[in-house]
Amino acid sequence: MIDYDYKKPESLKEVFSLLKEYGPKATLIAGGTDVMVKIRNTKKAPEVLISLRGLKDLRYIRKNNGYHIGALTTHRMLEQSDLVQTELSALHDGASEVGSVQIRNVATVGGNICNAAPSADTSGPLLALDATVVLEGPEGRRSVPIADFFTGTYRTVRKADEVLIEFQIPAETESFGSAYWKHSRRKAMELPLLGISVALKLSENKEISDARISLTVAAPTPIRAYKAEEFLKGKPLDDDVLREAGKIASSRDCCSLRDSLRCAAWYREKIIQVFVPRMARLAAERIRN
Amino acid sequence: MKKVSVSFTLNGDPVTAEVPVTWSLLKTLREYFELNGAKKGCGVGECGACTVIVDGDAVSSCLYPIPEIEGRSVTTIEGIASAEGELHPLQKAFIENNGVQCGYCTSGMLMSAKSLLDQNPDPTEDEIRTSIAGNFCRCTGYIQIVEAIGMAAETIK
Amino acid sequence: MSEYLYVGKSIPRTIETDKVTGRAIYIDDLKRPGMLYGKILYSKYAHAKIKNIDKSKAEKLPGVRAILTGYDIPDVRVGFIKDQTVLKKDVVRQFRDEVAAVAAISPEIAEEALGLIKVEYEVLPTVFDPVEAMKEGAPLVHEVDARGRPLKSNILPLPWKFYAGDIETGRKASAYTVKDSVSTTWVNQCCMGPSGCVAEFDMNNNLTLYDQTNVIHLGKQRIMEYFAQIGLKGKKVRVVNAIVGGSFGTKLDTDIYEFICMQLALKTRKPVKILFSREEEFFALPPRQPAIFDIEQGCDKEGRLTFRKCEALLDNGAYTSWGATTPSVMMMPMSSLYRVPNVSFEATCVYTNNIYCQAMRGYGNPQANFAVETSMDTLAEEAGIDPAEFRLINRNQSGDETPQRLKITSCGLEECINSVKEKLDWDKKKKDKKKARGVGMASLIHVAGGARVYMSDGHGIMIKVDQNGCVDVFESGTDQGQGSPTVISQIVAEALGFKPEDISLTMGDTGLSLWDAGTHASRHTFMAGNAAIRCCEKVKKQILDMAVQYMPKLIKGGFKRKKRKDPDFVQPDLDYSLISNPEDMDIRDRMVFPKSDPDHPYFKMDVREIVRSGLHVGVGDSRVVVAEEFYDPPTEMLDREMKGNLSMTYAFGTTGVEVEVDEETGEVTILKLIAAHDVGKAINPTLLLGQVYGAVYTGVGYGLTEEIKVVNGRVMNPNFRDYKMLTAKDVIPITPVVVEPGDEAGPFGAKGIGEPGLVPTAPAIANAIYDAIGVRITDLPITPEKILTALNDKQ
Repeated sequence: MIDYDYKKPESLKEVFSLLKEYGPKATLIAGGTDVMVKIRNTKKAPEVLISLRGLKDLRYIRKNNGYHIGALTTHRMLEQSDLVQTELSALHDGASEVGSVQIRNVATVGGNICNAAPSADTSGPLLALDATVVLEGPEGRRSVPIADFFTGTYRTVRKADEVLIEFQIPAETESFGSAYWKHSRRKAMELPLLGISVALKLSENKEISDARISLTVAAPTPIRAYKAEEFLKGKPLDDDVLREAGKIASSRDCCSLRDSLRCAAWYREKIIQVFVPRMARLAAERIRN
Repeated sequence: MKKVSVSFTLNGDPVTAEVPVTWSLLKTLREYFELNGAKKGCGVGECGACTVIVDGDAVSSCLYPIPEIEGRSVTTIEGIASAEGELHPLQKAFIENNGVQCGYCTSGMLMSAKSLLDQNPDPTEDEIRTSIAGNFCRCTGYIQIVEAIGMAAETIK
Repeated sequence: MSEYLYVGKSIPRTIETDKVTGRAIYIDDLKRPGMLYGKILYSKYAHAKIKNIDKSKAEKLPGVRAILTGYDIPDVRVGFIKDQTVLKKDVVRQFRDEVAAVAAISPEIAEEALGLIKVEYEVLPTVFDPVEAMKEGAPLVHEVDARGRPLKSNILPLPWKFYAGDIETGRKASAYTVKDSVSTTWVNQCCMGPSGCVAEFDMNNNLTLYDQTNVIHLGKQRIMEYFAQIGLKGKKVRVVNAIVGGSFGTKLDTDIYEFICMQLALKTRKPVKILFSREEEFFALPPRQPAIFDIEQGCDKEGRLTFRKCEALLDNGAYTSWGATTPSVMMMPMSSLYRVPNVSFEATCVYTNNIYCQAMRGYGNPQANFAVETSMDTLAEEAGIDPAEFRLINRNQSGDETPQRLKITSCGLEECINSVKEKLDWDKKKKDKKKARGVGMASLIHVAGGARVYMSDGHGIMIKVDQNGCVDVFESGTDQGQGSPTVISQIVAEALGFKPEDISLTMGDTGLSLWDAGTHASRHTFMAGNAAIRCCEKVKKQILDMAVQYMPKLIKGGFKRKKRKDPDFVQPDLDYSLISNPEDMDIRDRMVFPKSDPDHPYFKMDVREIVRSGLHVGVGDSRVVVAEEFYDPPTEMLDREMKGNLSMTYAFGTTGVEVEVDEETGEVTILKLIAAHDVGKAINPTLLLGQVYGAVYTGVGYGLTEEIKVVNGRVMNPNFRDYKMLTAKDVIPITPVVVEPGDEAGPFGAKGIGEPGLVPTAPAIANAIYDAIGVRITDLPITPEKILTALNDKQ
């Protein structure tokens, strides 16, 4: 029968000492919407759950020399933030699409990323927004570009004794527009069959001066489509260019699509081809002057 | 089996419960407090039948670890009518406009709607639909529920 | 006074206060003293021999009270054709085969015990494709039949053949013919309330079963039959409904878990509850029956149908529940939707190692309707006739007798088709076609005045009026949420002359009701309503008899009292003959009055006063007001040729849809959906819309998103995340059109409307998609992948 101990530390220091005490027997839990589901579904639990909900000062969305988002910020906070909606639109798109209001009210962006599901709705936007993940451990802090954070399905570079503290998004993002498309069968309560995020910047002559494209469910981890990004740079924002970018993004150069019961690989490929252009257009529309 | 003692506010009353640490808020409400309104439609946060309000926000009580409830305020379907038994405008509107059929989703649906109206007294249809998107219903096609929530919003205003 | 006071009014639901306050007691909430919790161990294989079951470890788990396997209980066969046992021994034939069951003091302990039961299997060859399963040499799912005779084939011996007229004659008369192959898949009923029951025996082995069944009396009959075979012959059985959290067909058969629950209760001498998890709800409950159809139709130059020929193949799964009987309902649209003189329909049910099926809203009609309405569209195109016009040419009409001998009484089909045309702006949309947009329609026929599938299609009702004026109605149906307590209250209030709030309904208890065939087949309002009206006549007669006897006394007594208080009071000279004959009196809105002078200043009296007078009169004269009525309509069972007028009346309706298709992604958006239904008469318009809306949503899911994914016999998506039931965000803009021709046989003219809304929805969508992009998807659900593939193939 499932049994575990539940620890409620109130400071990071306490978290580290608990992690040290229990080592691999412990699992960190934030909003719990992934951890609890996993316990229910597998009927197995770790010996100790260490709750991060007591770390109240890790819930924030700030703009101060770039953007700072506390790891325990809930999806609902992102959804309801005007700042996120206007300046980090892709993240707003992604956060608003997670599960239901009930889930978004408790599920945290840090939890979403640390769980490292290939389908995580905030992972693609954070990749496209070039976020950096700040981890803290007993030895101090370190920063990891989110593109290097995921090492496999449900695996990350976070060490067992580290806690994800914050996401940082560079100040230059202000001049980008961004958008995320979650492709699914219905309009809510979904995992994406495929997620496409695009962030881009236009030069004065309306050429694409910078572009970032990310894909979720297109590989074992959320990924950047670097080749497609490279292709876009310096090109005009027109249909042919965008179509070609979609093709590159959907090719084996960028992703490794799989057939699954939820969706066929060929359809995923098609969706990338359709939505890279559509999201690029939307991202461009969202660039603020 | 390890137990935990939690004190919190339940439908306005201060309460304490001593239950296994592995219990969810849903199980505690149903088993310890015998409040049967919140339902276990799936147990993994995918159906909305267990929705209750914690500190103003609608949450899936089936996923809510009971130790986390310490010091918080919980409102369930049993706590939204007045002490004298006068139904909440949402409850009235659900009856009036056929927002209830089998009723199994109703408690959760009402709690999602109440959280919405508490935070946003004048919601658009889209906002109403978003607020209950996590509450599945097989009977109604949602239409009369959405209408009922709109009617209740009007009444409250 | 033809104006109704309550019928036709949107009276708010009467008993739902408990549901909106969280007080309603569902099976989940029901606790009996000392109750144990049962859990079921299912098979690990789709087909295997059970070599050994070791339950010793599980039995030692503290808190476990009983563990049963097929070797511990009588080897009795149950089900529609008795092809399975309650717990399986020797062989399992599908993943949901029940191998063992545990009763324990908590659900968690029961669950843990399941994990400790060790079952050794030896894997047997499997067959999952019904076409393969029919071939010679295919692995046999069953070695022997119910009587132990060896079987040589997986094809079930079921009589699903229907012929009328002559296909060859029809073919010769045809100017155009078309052939289509279509198929439908498994979909889950998705009751929000999980299945479950509580079984409790008293010390004399009499059973009370708290249950969700919508056939309480048939359910009881099945249990009594089972009892007779397990040594409990003559024991009493009472079936009582808890509040039912949705039904949609799942509660039509007595499921295996119910028998298991009884066995656990019998073994432990304690009340036992079995409550399904959502996962079990998806893999261990029989879903809607899938079917593959080859359909051929023809019409003459004028567009009149000449023949319809269809062959259906049904994957029966490993055992037989009501799914295998869906062809009996498929015959109705096959033979009788639109006028078609020559019909041939044959259905074959084949055992496989897949899950087996049972009823779901509409029974076999949605499947067959998809075939017929697909073919109607392709034939209209072949004949060069507008699809709406083509349907109008062939529409059913009042007075028709169809090839199945269904007698069409009232028929609003023409009005339904025309309102869909009008509301969709059909002709204009057809003329000025916009890219990737299209309109489509489909119609339906369904039983709407009972369905005589058993020798009795009756409904019994008892009504009493007590001295307080409370009207207690004991009716024999089940409230699954459809609103019957409100609707039947309205009917009783109207027919008896009381107010709806005077009326309490008791439903769902075999101990407190007469026979009813079940709350299914859209029959409840029609049957219970008719029974209620007839019963009310009897009750009313009793009250009016009392009125004649007591009113003069009461009035004169009143005068006397007045006189005592006021000596100047002059007693009016009244013509008491006005209230001397019950036939000259009536009751309305709780008041008794003479028909000739309804507002008579003295002869209008509160009915409660009269009932009270009739009771409190002393020894020998006291009377109570109570009557019973058993309404069994003059319909026919289908005969050997599967013909007969099995319903008193039939529902018609048309769904029209406008869609837009994203040709890059294959996604379909429903821009407009018109649901036009001939309902006879809407007893409660708001509640009626609730039936239509809910059914349409389920129909849209059937058309576009929902499917149980079964791979090698295993359900791969047993959860709401991967099973794509629609959410509140999936907006379907429905415009309902309620057509009310009134039906002579219906209670106040009403027909059944529980199922119709679902039936034509999927084909209407499919036809609209074809109109939009010129590709026809013939297998449900119509996913974006299928659309894109078809668009590719077209190019």
